[in-house]
This record gives sequence, C-alpha cells and structure tokens, in this order.
Amino acid sequence: EAIQEDEKGSLQASVDDIISKAKKRKLLEKIKNVRLGMMRHLFLIIDMSEAMSDQDLKPTRLLSTLKLLEYFVEEYFDQNPISQLGIIITKNKRAEKVSELGGNPRRHITTLQSLADKVCHGEPSLQNSLELAHQTLRHMPGHASREVLVVMGSLTTCDPDNIISTISMLRDGNVRCSVIGLAAEVCVCKKLCKETHGSYSVILDECHFKDLLTQHVTPPPATASTESSLIRMGFPHHQLSADKEERPSMCMCHLDSKNSQGFSSTGYFCPQCKSKYCELPIECKACGLTLVSAPHLARSYHHLFPLDQFREIPTAQVGSNVLCFSCQTAVQELNVYICDNCERIYCLDCDLFIHETLHSCPGCASSRQTQQSAKMAGFS
Amino acid sequence: MKLNIDGLLVYFPYDYIYPEQYMYMLELKKSLDAKGHCALEMPSGTGKTISLLSLIVAYMKANPLEVTKLIYCSRTVPELEKVVAELKNLMDYYEQQLGKGKPKILGLALSSRKNLCINPEVSQERDGKNVDALCHKLTASFVRTNHKRDATVPVCSFYESYDAHGKEMPLPEGVYGLDELQEYGRKKGFCPYFLARHAITHANIVVYSYYYLLDPKIAEVVSKELSKNAVVVFDEAHNIDNVCIESMSIKITRRTLDKCQQNIDGLSKQIQRLKDCDAERLKTEYQKLVQGLRDANIARETDVILANPVLPDDVLKEAVPGNIRTAEHFLGFMKRFLEYMKIRLRVQHVVSESPPSFLKDCYQKVCIERKPLRFCAERLNSMMRTLELVEIHDFSALSLLCHFATLVSTYAKGFVLIIEPFDDRTPTISNPILHFSCMDASIAIKPVFDRFQTVVITSGTLSPLEMYPRILDFRPVTMATFTMTLARTCICPMVVSKGNDQVAMTSKYETREDVAVIRNYGNLLVEFCSIVPDGIVCFFTSYIYMESTVAAWYEQGILDQVQKHKLLFIETQDAAETSLALLNYQKACENGRGAVLLSVARGKVSEGIDFDHHFGRAVIMFGIPYVYTQSKILKARLEYLRDQYQIRENDFLTFDAMRHAAQCVGRALRGKTDYGIMVFADKRFARADKRSKIPRWIQEYLKDGLCNLSVDEAVQVSKRFLRQMAQPFSREDQLGLSLLTVEQLDQEDTKKKLQSRMQYV
Repeated sequence: EAIQEDEKGSLQASVDDIISKAKKRKLLEKIKNVRLGMMRHLFLIIDMSEAMSDQDLKPTRLLSTLKLLEYFVEEYFDQNPISQLGIIITKNKRAEKVSELGGNPRRHITTLQSLADKVCHGEPSLQNSLELAHQTLRHMPGHASREVLVVMGSLTTCDPDNIISTISMLRDGNVRCSVIGLAAEVCVCKKLCKETHGSYSVILDECHFKDLLTQHVTPPPATASTESSLIRMGFPHHQLSADKEERPSMCMCHLDSKNSQGFSSTGYFCPQCKSKYCELPIECKACGLTLVSAPHLARSYHHLFPLDQFREIPTAQVGSNVLCFSCQTAVQELNVYICDNCERIYCLDCDLFIHETLHSCPGCASSRQTQQSAKMAGFS
Repeated sequence: MKLNIDGLLVYFPYDYIYPEQYMYMLELKKSLDAKGHCALEMPSGTGKTISLLSLIVAYMKANPLEVTKLIYCSRTVPELEKVVAELKNLMDYYEQQLGKGKPKILGLALSSRKNLCINPEVSQERDGKNVDALCHKLTASFVRTNHKRDATVPVCSFYESYDAHGKEMPLPEGVYGLDELQEYGRKKGFCPYFLARHAITHANIVVYSYYYLLDPKIAEVVSKELSKNAVVVFDEAHNIDNVCIESMSIKITRRTLDKCQQNIDGLSKQIQRLKDCDAERLKTEYQKLVQGLRDANIARETDVILANPVLPDDVLKEAVPGNIRTAEHFLGFMKRFLEYMKIRLRVQHVVSESPPSFLKDCYQKVCIERKPLRFCAERLNSMMRTLELVEIHDFSALSLLCHFATLVSTYAKGFVLIIEPFDDRTPTISNPILHFSCMDASIAIKPVFDRFQTVVITSGTLSPLEMYPRILDFRPVTMATFTMTLARTCICPMVVSKGNDQVAMTSKYETREDVAVIRNYGNLLVEFCSIVPDGIVCFFTSYIYMESTVAAWYEQGILDQVQKHKLLFIETQDAAETSLALLNYQKACENGRGAVLLSVARGKVSEGIDFDHHFGRAVIMFGIPYVYTQSKILKARLEYLRDQYQIRENDFLTFDAMRHAAQCVGRALRGKTDYGIMVFADKRFARADKRSKIPRWIQEYLKDGLCNLSVDEAVQVSKRFLRQMAQPFSREDQLGLSLLTVEQLDQEDTKKKLQSRMQYV
C-alpha cells in the first residue's frame, strides 16, 4: 500500500512523515563556508485584510500572528545583530508603512502590539505593499541583503496593475521575497517566491507557523550579485559612571522624546564621535558608524560554521536497546544519528534540537579532547 | 528505461514509471496477443498515451507481421499534437538506444484541410467549410482538365506538383506532426493534406480524429483502405457512443428543404445545358449505372476496404433502379420526395414513427418505393461527378436529403423519425424539425470492430466499464480499471448533502426552485470562495438551471459576496464569448485575484479544457447532470436500449449522468503533482447506485465519512486538505511508491502490490 493509514483510517501519519523528512532535508542543505547575507534588511508585510479575522488560529489569525511575530522579531535581532527590520501592513487594497527600517527590536514590538487593536477589513494588495517595500530597499547598500517576508492570510490580492511586472522588478532589484501563507497555496505567491529565490510555505497549525518563522531567522546565503565590502564598525564600551566627574546626559536615541527616559550618566559611547546611546546595536546618528557589541557578532558565528551533520544509520546496526546520548531514552525509530567526531548516538528529535538550537554537540563538548578537535574542524 | 512486459522488450523513454502504467501495458499486451478488443480505464495525468505508444511500437517491432499499423484516434487538435509529441519523444529514445538499428517507423497526424493547407490564398480562410470548398474548387479533377485546356482557370500549384511527383515519392520515415507536414510540403512544394491522406495507407502510425473512422461520410473517403492488421485506439472514449450516434443522425429543417429546392432547380438547369452541348457524357454515365456498383462490391469482397454503414452490402450487388437512372428522372424523383418531405414537416403536433411506417406512408402518398430511395446517395454522387460541379459545398442540403433517403430505407431498426413542429422552449413559434435519429451506437462502430483486429477503448473516466460493451455491442478480451498510486492523497472528493440549516441539497426537479435549496448552493459557493485559492470551477446541470440559479443568487446578494473574494465568469452558448471568459479566468488565476467559472456539464468547458494546478483547485458539481429527460429523441433511445439490450432506462440515465459528472470533476486533476477538491453537491450522489458508478480512482478516496457533509463540515475538511497539500512535495517523496525505477519494478513484493491497483470488470 502506497500510503499507510493509522488505526483510525487517517492519513495524518503519512503527512507527518513527509514533513519530518523535509525537516531533515532542510538541515542537510545547510552547507558551511558559504557566504551569507549577514547584514539583512528585512521588511515584514502583514496582511490585515478581512481574512485575518478568521478564527482558525486562536483567538484570531491576526492576534496569533502578531504574537508569533513578536517572538520572531526578538529572535531575529538576537541572531542577526547587525541587521534591520521594518513593518508594512496591508488592508483595504492599500499598503501602509507602520514602522521604518531600524535596528531597535523594542520599537518594532511596540508597533506590533499596537496593531492588535486595529480592525481587519477589505482585501490586501500584495503589489502595493511590495512596491512600498521596494521603494525603501532600493536605497540600501549593495553589500546588504534585501528581503521581504509576507505573512498572508488572504487567498486573493487586489492589485492596481499587473503584479507580474512588480515581481520581475523585485527580482532585478535583488530583493528576496518569502511568503508564509496561513490558509492555502496561492499561485501568485509561489511564483513570487520562485522568481525572487525566496521560500514559500503554508502553515499547518500554530506550531508549524512558529517553525516556519524560525526558518527565516537564520540569514540566507548571499546571492552572487551582492557586493562584498568591508564595513567599519565601532565597539563601544558600556560606561558605568565610575568617574565622579561624569555628568548625566541625554542619549541620542531618546533625544526627541518628551519624558526623561534616557537621561542618565551611563550608556554606550561611540568611539568615533562620543555620542551616547542607551542600547546596541545601532547606527550612530551623528557619524553613521555601525555600533555593535562583540557578543553580538560572536552570536552570528554558528551561521558561518554550522555543526557538522550527523551520520544516519539504521538502529539495528548499532545493536538492540540503544539509548540516545542526550535524552537518555531508548530509540524507537528505525534510524539513529551518530556524530562523526565523538561517535555518540542521538535520536532524530535530539539531532534536530542540537542542530537547530544548540549548535554544538553535547558529546563533543563533554570532553576536552573532542572539544578541541571539533573546533579545529570548524575552522579548517 | 527498458522494460520486460510479459516477455516483450519495451523501450520506455523515461527513467521512472508509474506502477499503473506498467499494469496498463500488461493488460494491453494481453489483448494484442489475443487479437481482441479491450476497454481500459486509467486516470488522466498518469501517462496513458506514452504507455500505449511504447507498448504498441515495441509490439510492432517484435511481431512485424501480426500488427502493421496503429491508428490512434483522439478528439481535438491539441490532443492530437500531444500524441505526436509523445511519439517523437519515444522515437528519439529508440534512436538514442539503438542508433541505426531503430525500427523504421513512419508516424503522421492527419487533420482537416483547415489545419494543413499551405496554399497562401486558401489558408487565409478561417472557417473549415470554406477552406474545403475553396480547395475543391482548385483541385477537382475536371477543374484540372479545364486548366489544361485553358491556363487561366486557377489551380493549386501544391496539389499539381504533388499529383505529378508526390505519389511516387513516399514520405521518408520519421514522425510528422501537423507543422512538420506543412514544412515538408513547403520544402517540396507538395500539398500536405493530400500527401498525408495518401501516406496514411502505408504509415505505421496514424493519429487523427474520431470522425475519420466513425463518420461514414468521411471514413468512406479517408480510411477505407487501411490495413486489417491494425490496432485502433480510441482515446478519451467515454463519449464514443454519442459520437457514433451523432455521425449517423440527420436533422432536417424547413430551411434545409428550401435549399434543396434551389439545389434541384440549379441542377436541372445544369443538366439542360449539358444535354445541349455534351449529351454523350450523360449516356456514358447511364451505362455505368446499368453496370451497377459492381466494382465497389468486388473491392469489398476481396476485403480491401472498410465497410460503409451508409452503403449497405446488397446495394452494391444490384444495378441502380431504372426509374432514377437518367439524370432528369432522378431529379424528378427527388422533387417528388422533397414535396413529400415538405408535407411531412407541415405538422401541428409531435410525430414519432419508425422507418418502415415512414416508407409505407411515403409509398401511399407519392408512390415512392423503398428500393430507389436506397440508391439516392450513390446516385447523387455520380451525378455530381458527371456534371463536374465546382461548388460541391452549395449542394450540401441536397446531399443531406439523399443521405437521409438512403438511411431511412436501409435501416428498419435502430433509427427513429421524430418531427417536432416547434422548439420546446418556444412553443408559439413554428419551427418544424425532422430528427432522423440513430439510437444504436453499434451501427456506426460495427465496421471498425469487425475489420480491425484490436480496438482499444480507453479514457480517464469509463466507469461503469461493463456498460460500454453492451451499448457498443462488442466482446472485449479484457476490461480493467486502474487506480492512481499516490504518495499523498491529492484528491479530496466529498458529497455535500445538506446546508447548514439541514435542508437537503439536490437539483431534483421538484425542489429545484426552492429558495432554501438555491440559497444553500449559494452559501456553499461563497464559503468555498473564501477558503480555496485561485480558481474554482462550478458545473450546473443545464444552461437553464444555471440561468435561473444565478438570477436567484443575484437577488439574494450571494453574487456580491462571491465577488468579494473572486471574480466571476460564466460560460455561455456562444463559443467566442466563452473562450474570452476562459482567457480572463486564467488571467485572474495567474495573478492572484482568484476566479470562479460557472459552466455547464456537457458544455464546451466540461469536455476538453483542463483546469490543472491553480486553474482549478476545486470543482463543485451542483446537482446530478442528468440529460434532459423530456426530449423525444432520448425517450426513443431509452426505449430502444431497453428492448434491444435489456438496459433499464434508469440505469442508462444514471450511467450517462455519472460519466459526465466524473468527466467534470476529473478536469481538476491532471497529474500526480497536482491536487484538487471535488465537491459533489447533491445528496443523491451518496446513494450506492450513483457512488458505485464514480471511477474507481475517485471512489477510493470517497470515504464513508465524506459522504454526507454539511457545508460547514465540507469547509473544515477542505481547509485541512489545502494546508496539507501546500506542504513541499518533491519527486523523492514519490519514488518507490508512486514512481518506480526498473530495479524496483523487478522486485517480487512490488509486483504483488501492483496487482491490487487494478481491478477487472
């Protein structure tokens, strides 16, 4: 029988199987030593049309989406410290930029939270929102990666003009567009993603939605047409007012705000012009230097040197009653995964967890010898 | 890949094969071995064409004496081109594998003059009939004789050079599609149409339309010399009985008769003129007619030509009766017959009678006997030739009448005459029509079954299979139906039987006008519009039903709600309008606006237009597409089927409705990577007699749980289905399950699995 049914006669199992296989394949595709677009400029396009008030995600599609996006924005800046993000919403055949490109996660999260009170109505316009994103992304420097991520609940788009020309414009402008659909596969979205080398996916449920968003957190490989250039960066120290003579001052980020927030003696000072900022990463408003902290950059390290893939071998080959090294439970599946360096055995779920989240093999990390050799392998 | 099909080496031009293709070839080989006919059902999009071609070509290569020819009949020109493309693909593979040792195969497509003509003036014409007429004007034998006398008489240079050299120069081996034929014709200066018509007698593979074999008028000209050791394939043959019936039926209106009158007047003038200048010619004709049609009879007895059902055997053995031998007498005879027909059409009420009673009445009223009537068609042809008429096209009305005369006097059984004084829809306007309707599909197809050793009837939707041998009157060697092996369930059939208010959904005649039913159908459409992406195709049971429903929806505001999500397109009876609607429908699907197409089962859209991938993510069947049961012709046919073949009326009606329903919903799925929802919106679909007649590949997924859904439940099922289908799906997922390599095919357990994918009927 081609498709296995479970006892209830449902085909869910076989679909799940395909999904997990796809997951594994995605990991295998991750090649190391590839050039990545680490300086990302990403526009989030959020559909706010009538379809988003549907209740198939709880409580509504919009609220669920916004909540997951909050998490996404945090993760995004966590993993891509030197990147920027902007938010566009589309409803009633129009597109509106609610948050400009910027590196401050908090500002974006507040914007997202404020969106929850707005009403969803009308149809979305994919074309208008893509044009709006392109207007800004067009001016980004050549070495930065330009991306658009659309979260689309509606199955239709109401456009003023032929969207096909917009798609080819985006392709020529080297903008990578990805779409996450909340309901079903729409032809035009598929086309958009294919043309611009983005990825198109449709959610199954909230969990899967989160998975799909997480996939967009890791930086995509740089396309051949992105320029390579050296970037000047400043690494400001956080100065606590050790020095008694230091007077409290306004930081640059809150200069325009009415309240007294940001008025203190502590902060990060730009090494070039001495402007003060209360948080990193940020681009210096006075001299344009990119200010980051060293740990931020270090966090991007694993993207460039991912952990080696584990080898897949049938469980029967290893012997009976195999225990997974990390979760210490007996492996039930047909295949186990073995690390080539420390030769420890893992189950599929642990394998995925290690590669997706930990980025380091617990087996190798537990002894000094393997730790060293792993590091060497990573750099070679 | 090279396959071993029951001991036969088959070259298959792809690296992978679907399991059902393998099974299909096995079954096909069985019937080729047995030299018998077969009926095979395999879902569309699983590579029927290539399986057929590769097996039969391999068979021809292995047994060159047993099977010499493949005649592949398809329905439309695009389908014909598809077959040629597959054939080219196969021959390329042979070349690549065997180099010079590849079999010498000549394959060609034949279509009408309209698609093949390369004469710069004639090919300008758009209408097929005009092209034929213009061509005849330039190529008829007497025109060419005149041309020799008088160079100003125009002729077609392509035909001339073909006639001079083309017949001796056979087409080099290879595969010729319509374009290749035209190209070859241009290069050599030959007429591609006549070249192809000549070449089909010695070609190994001929691809052409059904009508070239089934319509007696055309088959007589084109196909009568095809070799007996041929395999005939009817693809997309689910409607073959209707094609057979249509090709034998005749419709005569008052206009036809008026034209006949003009034709006869014109002819008598011509004869008068000819008599004055060239009486000799008429005399020789007379002599010939005395001789009878003996030549034709000899030819038939020695079995060189295909029998023509219009020209029965005993006509050939006799001389043309004396009273229609001379041209004037014949015209006088026809005049009398025409007057009689005019009287018959002057009726106030519907008349339905059998051919014998018609003949009897005819004899009593105007003293016309049966015998001369039988010779009418032949006699007219002979006269046309003698008179050297150029505008044959103008005499179509008279030749129609002569055909009618011949048929009505030849067949006492299987036909019915129905004279209706007015159209059912417009009972006040007098518009008399005489339907001479064939009720027995086997009459037209009988010569084909008798003559050729193997006839393959195949389609994506042939269920229930056992009906076809009965209505076509043949004995198949194998009848089998194959299901699709799928790595994921990519079809989602469901029967929606009630609205959210629990009112049953049905197109049953009594509840058709019920507001609640119409509203529920409307709700179903609105709900599906909001959850299905891109294109939705809806089928109604008839134009009238569609019109009334759409009007009601407009009043209930349902159309406004639909248009919030998708654009709306409607099929009409006007072909140009419909193709424009289709074009814009596809455009709307392409650019993400989404569209709904409202069309009619049995209409142009339901046959022959594919809605693959995003062009049709869902098909909704509003009601069961029963044929219009009040029609007199249908009633007569049902009665005939009951008396002759013991097929009950209800069985036939359900069979006919279900095959059209299957055909409609099958439009959405055109391959294994495609997916679609099939909604049967009528509670009657859930009944066992209907459900069991749905093709097996759909039935398999129509679980009991999906047979009695309300609108809301259907929406939930569809939503889940669409999300699952949108997950990435690649070839690797299919491999080993629904896609096999040679090695996998050879494994024992695969073979066992394969058996379960097929079912004999």
